[in-house]
Amino acid sequence: MVGQGAQRLSLDPPTRRLTNEERGGSLLMASTLLAPATCVVVLGLLVPILILLRYSFNKFDPRLMMLEAVTLENYVKFFTDPFYTNVFWTTLRVALLCTLVCLVLAFPLAYVLARSESRHKNVLLMLVVLPLFVGNAVRAAGWMTLFGSKGALNASLLELGVIKAPLQIMFTERAVVIGVIAVNLPYMVLTLQSVIEGIPRQIEEAAFSLGAGPWTMSRRVLWPLALPGIMAGAILCFILAMNAYATPVLLGGPQFKMMGPLVFGQFRLNNWPFGAAVAFVLMTATLVLTGAANLLVHQRYGRGA
Amino acid sequence: MTTTRSLSRRRVLKGAATLTCLGLADLAFDAAAQSKGKVVVGTWGGDYARLLNKNIEQPILVAEGWEVIQDQAGDPERRSKMLAERRLPRGTTDIQGLSALNMFQMHDAGVIDTIDYGRLKNAPNLLPSMQYPYGVGHIYSGKVGVYNPKLVDPAPRSYKDIFDPKRGDKLGIIDIQYQYTLVCAALAAGGKVDELEAGKKLLLECKKAGARIYPTNEAFAQGLKTEEFGTGVMWKARVVQWQNAGINVEAIVPAEGALAYVSGFVIPKNAPNKPGAYAYLDAMLDKRAQEAFAIDMGYNPTVTNAIVAPELNKRIGFTPEEVKALVDLDYGYMTRNDVALKEWWDKELKG
Repeated sequence: MVGQGAQRLSLDPPTRRLTNEERGGSLLMASTLLAPATCVVVLGLLVPILILLRYSFNKFDPRLMMLEAVTLENYVKFFTDPFYTNVFWTTLRVALLCTLVCLVLAFPLAYVLARSESRHKNVLLMLVVLPLFVGNAVRAAGWMTLFGSKGALNASLLELGVIKAPLQIMFTERAVVIGVIAVNLPYMVLTLQSVIEGIPRQIEEAAFSLGAGPWTMSRRVLWPLALPGIMAGAILCFILAMNAYATPVLLGGPQFKMMGPLVFGQFRLNNWPFGAAVAFVLMTATLVLTGAANLLVHQRYGRGA
Repeated sequence: MTTTRSLSRRRVLKGAATLTCLGLADLAFDAAAQSKGKVVVGTWGGDYARLLNKNIEQPILVAEGWEVIQDQAGDPERRSKMLAERRLPRGTTDIQGLSALNMFQMHDAGVIDTIDYGRLKNAPNLLPSMQYPYGVGHIYSGKVGVYNPKLVDPAPRSYKDIFDPKRGDKLGIIDIQYQYTLVCAALAAGGKVDELEAGKKLLLECKKAGARIYPTNEAFAQGLKTEEFGTGVMWKARVVQWQNAGINVEAIVPAEGALAYVSGFVIPKNAPNKPGAYAYLDAMLDKRAQEAFAIDMGYNPTVTNAIVAPELNKRIGFTPEEVKALVDLDYGYMTRNDVALKEWWDKELKG
C-alpha cells in the first residue's frame, strides 16, 4: 500500500526514450542558447590569452619591442632570478593572508545577516555592499590620508600620547594587507551570507536538540554545509588578492612589489614578451592553487561538500 | 460616390527615402563646405590634453575648419600602437605627442616621418635645438634642484650637492623618474650621460644614508609638503605649480647644467591625414598657443616670437647661459639600456 501510495504521489516526470528528432531539437536549442556567451568568451578571453601565450615565447628587442621567436628565456628569467620569485612569494603570502582574515572576519557577519529577521536586513546588506560603490583606487586614496605620517591615524595617536613618533604604515606590506582585506571583505560576506541563508535553521536546531553545543554545531553541521560557499568566497577573495593592482601600487609604494604591478611595469617598458610570461605565471599559479584547493576539499568532505 | 485619398505605405516610404537623401546630401555639402578634414592626435590625458584643446585645437584649428579628435593614452601604450600599426598602409593617428626620448625611439624603429620644415610657416621662429629631423619640440623645461629652505641649509648649488650622501636622509627620489634621476646622479658623480655607473653607486650611498623613494610626482610633492624630506630634482615647470599650491620649495639651476626635458610631436609614416598633421604642428608653434602654454603649464615656449611676462619668465625660464648649458639625454644609449636600467633600479636601488 505504502509503495503504491508513493508511486501515486511521485512528482517525477514519466520516463520515456526521446526520439531522434526530439534529441536533435533539444541539441539545437542548447547550442543556440550557449552560442552567444561562448562566442563572447572565446573572442574576448580565450583568443587574447592565446595571443599573449604566443607573445611570451617571443624575444624582447629595445628598438622593435618584440621579435618573433620560440624561446623559453622569459620563463627561465622569471624562475631563476630571486627578485622575481620573491615577488611571486610575496603575492602568494599576501593573497593567502588576506583570504584567511577575510574568512574569519566575514563568517560571523555573514551568519548574523543570514539569520537576521529584522526589517532592516536590506539596509544592513546595503551597508556591506556600500564600499563596492567606490573604486579601488579611490578607496586606496582614502587609506593614504589615514595612514600617512601626518595622516588622521598618526595625528590622533600622537595627540593622545599613545605614540611618540609617527607609525610607518604607508608603503608597507601591512598597509597593503589592510587595503586588500577592505576591498575583498564585502565579496566574502555576500557569498557566505547567501549560502548560510540556504541552510535551513531547523538543521541547526536539530543539532542543538541532540545535545550539540554552539561550537560543535558550527564545526560539525554549519561548516560542512556552508563549505561550498566558503570555497566560493575564498576562491573569489584569493583571485582578487593575487591580481590586486591599485592597492599594492598606492599603499605598498615603490619598494613593495606584487605580481599585478610587475606585469603592468613590464608592459610599460614595452617588454611585452616578459610581461606576457609573468602574466602567464600569475594566471597559472592562481588556477592551479584554486583547483588544488577545490580538489582537496572535495576529497576531504566527499560529494556532500 | 466619394473618393478617399489615403497615404499608402509605399508612398510614405518613398517620401521618407527622398527626405533622407536630401538631408544626407545637405549634410555632406555642409561638411565639405565647413570642414577641412579630421586630424587625430595621440596625446597623454589630463591637463596636457585639456590645454591642447584649449590653446591649440579650439582657438586655431577648429576655427580654421579642422575637426580634431584626441586619442588619449599613456605614451607606452601609444608607442606600442604605433609599432603594432607599422605594417598598415593607413594608421589610426595623424600626429603623436611624445617626449624627445620617445620621439627618438620611434624614429629609431622607423615608424615616423622626417619633418619637412618647409611646410611649416612658423618654422623660422622655432629654436634650432627644438628642430629634430623627425619631430618638433612643443615645450621644454629642465631638471632643476629643489629644496625646502627650512630643512636644507646651505642651499644646494649643483646636482652634486643634492645627491650628497652626507645629507642623503634629506633626499627624496621619484620612482617613475628613474631615467632622469640616474642621469642626474651620474652628472653629480662626475660621469656622463652615457656613463651611469658612478651615478648608480652614488644613489646606493644616498639610499643607505636614508633617501626616500616616492612612487609618483604627486607623492613626492606631498612628502615635500609634509617635510618628510627636503631636497630632490624636478622639472622647473612643476616647481612653479608646487609653489602656487603653497609648498615651501625653491628651485636652483644646477652648476652641471640642467638636464633638459622636451615634449614634442611626430608624424607616423602611415598617418592618414598628413596635411592635417602639419596644420597641427603649425598651430602648436603659433605665438598665441605657445604663450598660453607658458602661463597655463609653466613650460617654456620653443619659438622665439612668444612673449613671456618677465615675472613668469623668472619662475619658469632659463637665462641664455642656462639654456646653452642644458644637457640632453643620450637617446640611443637610453633606448638600448632602458630595460636594464629599470631592472637595476627595481632590484638594486629599491630592493
